[in-house]
This record gives sequence, structure tokens and C-alpha cells, in this order.
Amino acid sequence: MSIEFLDIHKAFGTNKVLDGVTLTVEKGQIVFIIGKSGAGKSVLVKHLVGLIQQDAGRILFEGEDITHYTEREFFALRKRCAMVFQHSTLFDSMTLLENVALPIRKHKGLSHGDSLAAARDKLALVQMHEMAARFPADIGDGLRKRVAIARALTLDPEYVVFDEPTTGLDPVSAVRVDRLIRQMSDDTGVTSIVVSHDLRSIFGIADRIVMLYQGRIRLDGTPADFRGSDDPVVHQFVNGLPEGPMEL
Amino acid sequence: MIALLTFAKDQTVGIARVLGLTLYYIVRGRTDRRVVLEQMWEIGNRSVFFVIVTLGFLGAILIFQTSFQSQRLFGDVSLVGPASLPLLCRQLGPALCGLMVATRVGTGIAAEIGSMVVTEQVDALRMSNAQPVDYLVKPRFYASLVMIPALSVIGVFTAWMAGLLVSTAVYHTNPSTYLNFGMVRASDAIEGLAKAVVFGATIPVIAAHSGLEARGGSEGVGAATTQAVVNSSLAVIALDFLIGGIAFVVKAA
Repeated sequence: MSIEFLDIHKAFGTNKVLDGVTLTVEKGQIVFIIGKSGAGKSVLVKHLVGLIQQDAGRILFEGEDITHYTEREFFALRKRCAMVFQHSTLFDSMTLLENVALPIRKHKGLSHGDSLAAARDKLALVQMHEMAARFPADIGDGLRKRVAIARALTLDPEYVVFDEPTTGLDPVSAVRVDRLIRQMSDDTGVTSIVVSHDLRSIFGIADRIVMLYQGRIRLDGTPADFRGSDDPVVHQFVNGLPEGPMEL
Repeated sequence: MIALLTFAKDQTVGIARVLGLTLYYIVRGRTDRRVVLEQMWEIGNRSVFFVIVTLGFLGAILIFQTSFQSQRLFGDVSLVGPASLPLLCRQLGPALCGLMVATRVGTGIAAEIGSMVVTEQVDALRMSNAQPVDYLVKPRFYASLVMIPALSVIGVFTAWMAGLLVSTAVYHTNPSTYLNFGMVRASDAIEGLAKAVVFGATIPVIAAHSGLEARGGSEGVGAATTQAVVNSSLAVIALDFLIGGIAFVVKAA
């Protein structure tokens, strides 16, 4: 069982972002999608949950073609495949607990009270249960991101897409997020697709790394493959070198 | 010219789509009364002062200028008060109130939803199985549908009373002469209320459409806000003309 992106093309106006990306993600893996800013990493993963529609190509989810799914059909898929966004995307008018309870209420049709009770357990998972009654504006970016992760995990998804989960976090919080992703994979077999620039995370927990460059996959391999690569673009990126062949 | 027509067509189709989805979720979805009440407070109560001030000054100007011309031409201002009430009820009250609300409420809706779009909160709603139109537009639609007619009634009353002050203070009109309801008909009030209800349904849909179309960062939100005011104001004027025309034909028949 896997997720397959087959020859995905996507352009915004004249800006060609994805130019024939083919990628298979096996169940239970932690796959990092890396690349410079604007390489199309977030665009690629948003296709999987129907937030962006590709111009050409197909996507198979556990063998089923979801290319032409309607919004209603994607609702069912999003119960199994959650997403943590680059911004924390919490709703300002709701408390932290209500934010986490929203997907439970909407997806499972539970009452307001029952969904709050279920949400409290998920907040505890990211050590945020004591702040449940606070509003997003009352806490810092790092804490908001932890709540956003709790919200994504409310429905016990089998797949989670993380869009730059450690960006903006302090080193301790970042390590906690990495550990949570690893733990989910080891304990419950959750498949994680992580968009990231964070080299410490990438080489810390990735099972597999896929590098996008100029709309295509530049290298697909293990962390060891990336460390040992003699491709100058890959070498420049993984070593964080300001000089090199990589286009800005 | 072709680009302008294409843009107008795209906007119209987009607004029609948001309206269609709003009506669909009114029939199919559940409504959170607490959110509707919050929006009624935001759209209605927080606009009252703005509507009273603007309609008050506009009413005073209207009566002052009309009385000035009436006195110059006929040497009499006694009919200005009674004759202005049908005009305010039928035409100026709802239209001016609609334009005022389009600027205050329309910008607020477009900016709030636009900010949610560019910070991916709308995508997060979709991931939570909450349809953005159901969750964001429908409560504002309900609230606006109730509160804009209410604001229009308050606006008409304020404008006429401001006119009374001007008329008595400047032209020394007897208040009982001014406060004469003899020239206003039920059809004037019905036409005015019909316009206000239609504006109440139109403004949040148009503003929400602009917000949902926001792209990029703060620049995109700014553009969406501007678009919301332009589209809402144009819609108020065009619908005012259309409903006024229909009412005229109905009355003539």
C-alpha cells in the first residue's frame, strides 16, 4: 500500500513549478521532500489532499486513482491523511481546545462536548493540555505549532503531511516534533511526508529523502545516499553552502 | 476592453458560485447560532453609530438643499418634510445605508477571509471537513440579511429626524407640518425593505468572494478588500436601479 505521484505537472501562470514529478511513498516510511524555497515541495504535497489540482499527471492513493476526486470525496480521504501546515493555521476566534476539537466534530459528527473531551487527550500528546482554554493569540509560535500538530492527529490518521513542521521553533521544540514524528512511525506505522529545509531533522529522522530541483526530482535516496552524493547541487544543499551551481 | 469584460464575467461567475454554495449550505448544513449572533453584533450593532452619523448628515444636507430650492422657486418649504419621507424610504435610505455597510462590513469580511486564505487557515478548514462557504460565509449571510434591513430603518429615521432639525432651525418650519406621513404609502416601505433585504444578501456574498480569491500575502488581502468595496458598491447601485424599475412597473400595472 502506498501513495504514488505519477508525472505530476503544475504551473501558476507562466511559472512552471512541477515538471513531471514521479514519486512513490511506501507505507510506514518517513519521507522528507527537500529543495530550495519555491522548488514546489509544498505544492507537490498539497496535491495529495486535494488542496491543489494538478495540470497533468495522476495520483494513486493505496492503488485508487484520486486524480479527479471531488471535494466531497477528498473529505473522506482527509480523515486518513492529515496535514500540518507551514503556518500554525489555528482559528483565532476559538480556544486551543476548540481548535483541536473542530476536525473531530466535523469529521465524526460528535457533539460539541464529546469532541472537546476527545480533543483534550490530543492536546496532552503535545504537552499543551494545561493551556487548553487559551486563545492562539495568547501563546507563541512554537506552542501554536504544537497545537496544530495535535489538531492534525485528532483523527488518528494513517498518513500525515508535515509542511515545514520545525520552521520557527526553538531547538528543543524542534527536537520534540522530530521525536513525535519518529514515534508515530515506530509505534503505529504512520506514514509521514515531511517538507523541510531543516538539515538536522532531515538527517535525524528521515528514512528516505527526495530532493526537488527545477520542477523535477534531483535525487531520491537514503540519508547516506545524500551525504555521499557527488552531484554538486545536492552537495551544495545538504552542506548549506552559499556558493555553488544551485540557482537562486 | 476584452480583458475588462472577461474580468467582469469571471467575477460574476465566481460570485454566483459562492451564492449558490451559500444557498446549498443553508438547505443542507447545520447552523451555529452562536456564530450567527456574533456576526449580527459585528455587522449590525457595530455599524449603528456609523450609519446614524452618515445618514444623519446626509439627511440634513438633503433637507437643507431641497428646502433652499423649494423656498427660492415656490416660496414655501411646508411640503419638503412630507415629500422627502417616501424618497428616503424607497430610495435613498436603503441605497445609502447599503453603500455605507458595503464599505464598513464588506471590507471587514473580505479582509478577514482574505487573511485566512493567505495564511492557509481556509485550507486547514477544508482539512477539518468544514466547507469554507458553510463555515465562513453562511453565518455572515444570515446576519447581514437581518441587520442591513434593520440598519436601513434606523438610517431612514435618523436622516428624516436630522432633516427635521435643519428644517425647524433654519427654515422655521412647524414640526407638525414636517412630521406629516400623508405622502408615504405602504408600497414605499415595502420597496425600501425589499432593497435592504437584497443588499443584505448581496454584500456578504460579494465580499466573501473577494476574500476567498485573495492570493499572495498582505498585498493580496489589500487587493481583495478593494475589490470587495468596488464590487459591493456597484452591486448596490445596480440592484437599486433594477428593483426600483421592477417596483415602478408593478405599480404601473
